[in-house]
Amino acid sequence: MTMPDTATIVARASALFEDLHFSSAREWKSAVPGRKVIGYMPIYVPREIIHAAGMLPLGIVGGGDQLEVIHGDAYYQSYICRIPRSTIELGVSGRLDFVDGMLFPSICDVIRNLSGMWKLMFPNVYSRYFDVPQNYRDDIGGNYYAQELAELRDALGELGGAPITDDALRASIAAYNENRRLVRELYDYRIAQPWQAPAAEVYLLMRAGLALPVEQHTELLRDYLAAARAVERPRRDNCRVVVTGVFCEQPPLNLIKSLELAGCYVVDDDLLLVTRWLTADVATDGDPLQNLARAFLHHSESTAAKYEPNAREKGQHLVRAVQRSKAEGVIFASPSFCDPALLDRPMLQHALSGAGIPYVSFKYAENSGQMQPIREQAGTFADSIKLWSGQ
Amino acid sequence: MTTITAGIDVGTGAVKAVLMRVQDGNTEWLSRSTLRIRQRDPIELARLCFDQVLEDAKIGEKQVNYVATTGEGESVPFHTGHFYSMTTHARGAIYLDPEARAALDVGALHGRAISMDERGKVLKYKMTSQCASGSGQFLENIARYLGIAQDEIGGLSKQADNPEVVSSICAVLAETDVINMVSRGISPQNIVKGIHLSMASRLVKLLKSIDASTGVVLATGGLALDAGLVDALNEETGNMKGMSARIRAHADSPFAGALGAALWGAYRYDRLVERGEIARAA
Repeated sequence: MTMPDTATIVARASALFEDLHFSSAREWKSAVPGRKVIGYMPIYVPREIIHAAGMLPLGIVGGGDQLEVIHGDAYYQSYICRIPRSTIELGVSGRLDFVDGMLFPSICDVIRNLSGMWKLMFPNVYSRYFDVPQNYRDDIGGNYYAQELAELRDALGELGGAPITDDALRASIAAYNENRRLVRELYDYRIAQPWQAPAAEVYLLMRAGLALPVEQHTELLRDYLAAARAVERPRRDNCRVVVTGVFCEQPPLNLIKSLELAGCYVVDDDLLLVTRWLTADVATDGDPLQNLARAFLHHSESTAAKYEPNAREKGQHLVRAVQRSKAEGVIFASPSFCDPALLDRPMLQHALSGAGIPYVSFKYAENSGQMQPIREQAGTFADSIKLWSGQ
Repeated sequence: MTTITAGIDVGTGAVKAVLMRVQDGNTEWLSRSTLRIRQRDPIELARLCFDQVLEDAKIGEKQVNYVATTGEGESVPFHTGHFYSMTTHARGAIYLDPEARAALDVGALHGRAISMDERGKVLKYKMTSQCASGSGQFLENIARYLGIAQDEIGGLSKQADNPEVVSSICAVLAETDVINMVSRGISPQNIVKGIHLSMASRLVKLLKSIDASTGVVLATGGLALDAGLVDALNEETGNMKGMSARIRAHADSPFAGALGAALWGAYRYDRLVERGEIARAA
């Protein structure tokens, strides 16, 4: 069998990205009677539990720039972000009518309230506000989180008509461990040769992971890495940047493309963190829920939406990300009205200033159309790094 | 070490390319090329311009160490690196006129005021808003309505004896003003000078807003060679309180962006060599 090239792989990922009727998930569900689909919002849910129930986890990250929000605006005041409006639009327009359950992770008040609204609007859909610990001691936050996971496991078992076994959970953890290994490999590959794995392509591949069964996504990543390594692409004199603040409402694809066009190689980001929230393999022996809880407490990403109990540690994850990825600067790109990203930004910028790392900031909405100002900001930032850093 | 570097400025109205040789800190301008876009694909024109400068300098493409683009040239497929217009016009202005501490880039679509230090580092920057009434495209349209060639504009403007000032806010209103002037029998000289004064008024305000109130300002971009506009800029500067800047143009001012790109490209090439990360042209 001939190996697909990057263009073919990216075209498949792009088709999944553009499909706001989620045809791929609908086909997966209709292929076998009794299958169920569980939607989830940013930034993290333990997809292993959904997978172990024989269900498809489906990432819902709003409607992007292709969805006209007609009904969604009526549910929210004007001074909040766009992702809850477009998610409601997806719901009331019937685009999510095949989804059997929705998980709303603990990220901000808006998403928390959306979980309640979903219960009222779609009473026949299993809806759950998925809370996470604010305390990172195993005997406090760990026990609390394991209990949350147990409740989710029981609820999904009930929804699916059969309890989720420990063996099924262990097998799912192994499947996601493999997926995360490939994701890490792709991110490491981009750090080493960012011109070989453009930011927009990496993003589309990660987005595909929100729609495809994990086994198919792992295969897609493996194919892409092989195809990318097989062809040498032109290397530009771009600066290397970390993009942060993009963990919930997604930037338009054109914004990601514009950053690279403006002379910035994106070498790390916090886009679609669910695909790499856990930074190390989860143990596949012993109690699977305790293993997932321990991984969350001790081996998970840091982001503005995650509580950091140590004030001196605030922002250091970003400094480390810059060092690890050999970046030369940071771009703070945050959705308008995003409380977690914008409230944390000054503290993160303070940490960067302390480490002598340059940064630039701007805001966007998922449907932003005018990229020229962003290109100019990112481009002049790239110029300043290339010409004047260290002077 | 000798570095051969190309600068390609993809503007709204024209594409400009230059080829430079930089050796031990000395720069030699090898060749230049300009093509008006006229509804053609600017990326294809960039290739044609690049080929022309190579041919004129008898340099092979593989001998070029760094191809730098600026303006709208990010998508030129064979570029090594891209620099933004304010960065390149500042450097190009210093190259053409070492006394300059500000550049006023007046192109087909925008006017940009840039202040810089003696190294060409941008200190402040501001550009005109989206309205086209301060732009070369607007002037070109008016010249067409009046039936005069573009290279006649500057000379006619200098002959004006009683200029009629037009709206400096909106190109549509300004065009209406011009139609009224023609019907009132105002001479083309006074109309053109009025337009120059209107444009100059906006551009001098831009300069003041970036604190470029004193010293030498080099006009760059396509309109820098319009002597009538440069005169009007100096008149407006003289009339504005707190402004004593002198605005000058250089015969090669339209190439400032391409020159700046080429010079920054040479600088980057040397740094990449030092760090062992030579960027390879596509």
